[in-house]
Amino acid sequence: MSQANHLSRLERAARSAGRRLKLRRALTAASACLPLPLGYAAVVVGLAKVLPLTVAQARPWLWGTLAPAAFVVAAALRGAWSSRSPFEGALALDRHHGLEDRIANALAFSKLPVAERTPLMQAAIADAAERAPKLEPRRAARIRLPRELAYSAALLVGLLGLAVLEVRQLRVLPPPIVQVQPMLLSADDVELFREIGQDLAKSADDPQVSAAAHRFNQLVEDIAAHRMDRREVFERLGSLERELAESSELDREAQDEGLKELARELEKSGLTKSAAEALSEKRLADAEQALRELAERLKKKQSPPSKAELEKLRSALQKASAASSEHQAGIDQRRKELEEEEQSLLKKKQQGDSSPRNEQKLAENRRKLERLSRDKQRSDKSQQQLSELDKQLQEAARQLMQDAQAAGQSLESAAEDVNRMGKQQQTDEQKKEMLKRLQELREVLRQQGKGGKEQMDRMQRFGERARGGGKQPGQNGQPGNGSQPGQLRLTRGSGDGPGIDVPMPGSSPGAGKEGGQDGAQTGAQAGKGYGQGHDEHLAGDPTKLDGKTQDVTAAGVDSGQGAASAEVIYGAAQRGFVGRGYQKVFTDYQTVAEQVMQQDEIPPGYRFYVRRYFQLIRPRD
Amino acid sequence: MSDVEAAREEVQVFQKQVGTLREEIGRVIVGNREVVDGVITCVLAGSHALLEGVPGLGKTMLVRTLAEALALEFSRIQFTPDLMPADIIGTVVVDDSATGGAAKFEFRKGPVFANIVLADEVNRATPKTQSALLEAMQEHRVTVGRTTYQLEEPYFVLATQNPLEMEGTYPLPEAQLDRFFFKLMMPFPSRDELHTIIDRTTTDHEVKVSRVLTRDDVLGMQKLVRRVPVARHVQDYAIRLVLATHPGNAEATELVKRFVRTGASPRGVQAVLLGAKIRALFAGRFAASIDDVRVSALPALRHRILRSFEGEAEGVAEDKILDEILKKLPESKG
Repeated sequence: MSQANHLSRLERAARSAGRRLKLRRALTAASACLPLPLGYAAVVVGLAKVLPLTVAQARPWLWGTLAPAAFVVAAALRGAWSSRSPFEGALALDRHHGLEDRIANALAFSKLPVAERTPLMQAAIADAAERAPKLEPRRAARIRLPRELAYSAALLVGLLGLAVLEVRQLRVLPPPIVQVQPMLLSADDVELFREIGQDLAKSADDPQVSAAAHRFNQLVEDIAAHRMDRREVFERLGSLERELAESSELDREAQDEGLKELARELEKSGLTKSAAEALSEKRLADAEQALRELAERLKKKQSPPSKAELEKLRSALQKASAASSEHQAGIDQRRKELEEEEQSLLKKKQQGDSSPRNEQKLAENRRKLERLSRDKQRSDKSQQQLSELDKQLQEAARQLMQDAQAAGQSLESAAEDVNRMGKQQQTDEQKKEMLKRLQELREVLRQQGKGGKEQMDRMQRFGERARGGGKQPGQNGQPGNGSQPGQLRLTRGSGDGPGIDVPMPGSSPGAGKEGGQDGAQTGAQAGKGYGQGHDEHLAGDPTKLDGKTQDVTAAGVDSGQGAASAEVIYGAAQRGFVGRGYQKVFTDYQTVAEQVMQQDEIPPGYRFYVRRYFQLIRPRD
Repeated sequence: MSDVEAAREEVQVFQKQVGTLREEIGRVIVGNREVVDGVITCVLAGSHALLEGVPGLGKTMLVRTLAEALALEFSRIQFTPDLMPADIIGTVVVDDSATGGAAKFEFRKGPVFANIVLADEVNRATPKTQSALLEAMQEHRVTVGRTTYQLEEPYFVLATQNPLEMEGTYPLPEAQLDRFFFKLMMPFPSRDELHTIIDRTTTDHEVKVSRVLTRDDVLGMQKLVRRVPVARHVQDYAIRLVLATHPGNAEATELVKRFVRTGASPRGVQAVLLGAKIRALFAGRFAASIDDVRVSALPALRHRILRSFEGEAEGVAEDKILDEILKKLPESKG
């Protein structure tokens, strides 16, 4: 091998040794600085354990470790690239092989131009070149783990130990989060009850009713926001219902009866006839107006009534007062009975043993007692109002023949009493309306709670379709199952999947119609069972079984003012319960249904389902 | 024969000659290898040595043996306070012995006119006398009146000092100390060496020193020494080493900063590098190494460092200061 080759070999070996030395210096420098970040981290972890700090609180301090870590990196780089002799590697080789700087000198001389090299220099280069094959850069510049690394390792072990160490702290744990299973109400129903709540709030003119309407709205909003579980919802509903029930002040029945008797007597005088008619028809505002007019007439002495008329009026007022007194006596009697009954129940309650057998009876007595107490309060209130009216009428009768003006004033006071009664009745009506809505809400929630998530999903889909959204009808139709007893199958005629089952007690008329096989059918196919209803096209006596019915054909008059009701309903089933036409038809049908429910004796449980049905098919905006 | 081969042979011959010289001296001088090598180094560097040691350690014997082995003229001057410059340089006398009865002035050479001069206890002479010798050492010539006399090469002065009896002495000033190439410390012989010394000197065993090198050989060797190359990094190390003896230098150690008043002169670097070159040749190498520099540093610099008052008061030895520098000074620096 030529001298040039040996020289290049020398250079490679020297470079290799030089690189290793750089790495060694970097390691040494980094090891010397490593305790800094480790120590810092140990302090932070220690503080986090002792104070203690949360992860979020400790995070900025732990990020602070980056600064000393960066310092370590900088120290390593500085160590590696610190200015050193270009022959550092060669010197290391010389040291290791005991060559007394032969390699370093040879490399230094080889950098000189050949002409400048003396024979001794060339001899030195040749001398070093001869030793090139035996050079071992790896051994000449060993990369040993620096001693300082031991301190860092010890610190690291300490740090890990500190991280694992559990410092016992007395911590006040936050109360366990109770997973609330929120009460669910479909968006469609939420919207319905929102509207109801808004209507109630608008119509409320009594502060108590207004506050109750606000609470109703809040309840609906809380349900919509899934802030309450089932138990809480029903608790609040119950609380609201109790408050409304307790605050219903009047015994309406007794009061109406009292007013009717009053009207019957007042009718006998021509002067109070209009007031009597209004009272008998429960038009308290008109009665008030009539009494006021009469009082005005008495006071102003313009076109004063004749003596005979006055006498008749006096007599009527006296009789009315007497009738009122009698009625009051009746109410009083009833009140007394209630009191006795209450006392009796209280005694029973006190004497009753606590055996399980009597528990149910006691609970029943307790409820009865509460109801009686409420009834008693109402009777008292009604009696108080009627007795006020009675007093005024009696006073008017007494003064009538002596001082018509004073009598007029008494009649005015009586008119005011009637006005108060009217307002009270109105407030009671509002409360009853709200109670009815609360019961509806309770029933809806109860029904939806039974159906679970599946029911909720169905309601959700139904609500979307009712607004004209969702899937188009007519796809993958499922036949409706109208033949199941006790269930009204509400489908939209399209058979677009499962319908909404509204459970109905008893048996359906059997004329439930199956959903269409596809979207084009309207569910007109007859059910499997025989029906108990009537063909709506049939006229005549439905109970006549000899079949000799009289067919009457009524041809509709085409007014050109829009689609027929059947078309509108069909369209609504297809597109959702929207549009003016549908709204009109719905209103007509609902009005009829309400009238029927008022006129006929329909069990309250059934009324709910009828109302629910109309709620579900109500027009959407 | 190529230049390289010639150079190789030259170095080999040099190494062999030095070896022979060492052996010959070693026949008389027991041990003291470092001092012997130091003395030889000074001879080959064409310079002078200051030898310090207690009396009786064989300083004179060493120089005498060296002179005999080199076949060079040797003279010894015992310095005393009353020694005059003329006593060592020589003096002009009236010579009336010439025929014709005419008297004439004649210069009679003093003991400095030799190849190897032993200036024994040089610090006992007055500065005037010392400076007369030092001129001869530095210039290798002597001026008497208007006449300058060139001293014969090789010219080597070995001055000795007794470190114990400093009373009534005239310590050499720094400028004069600087003229000595090396300051060598003569150690006390070890027990074994003493046995050998006793065996050799208290019996009838007589050692006759042979002349192993001629004057020309020495001159040739001196020339070879000058040709030995020094790589830049080695030279740089030597320079940094000398600079580190100055308290104001960045690489000065704590001891230097505290106890040194003035560091070594540039002549110190010359001495260090020349000593390194000679040491390389002793080892048969063609170039000086950092280790050579390190070994040469102590004898070349110890008499060139001027301690501060505090250093002298606390008795901090120059060798200790230099040892610390050698230990802490990195070999390479970019």
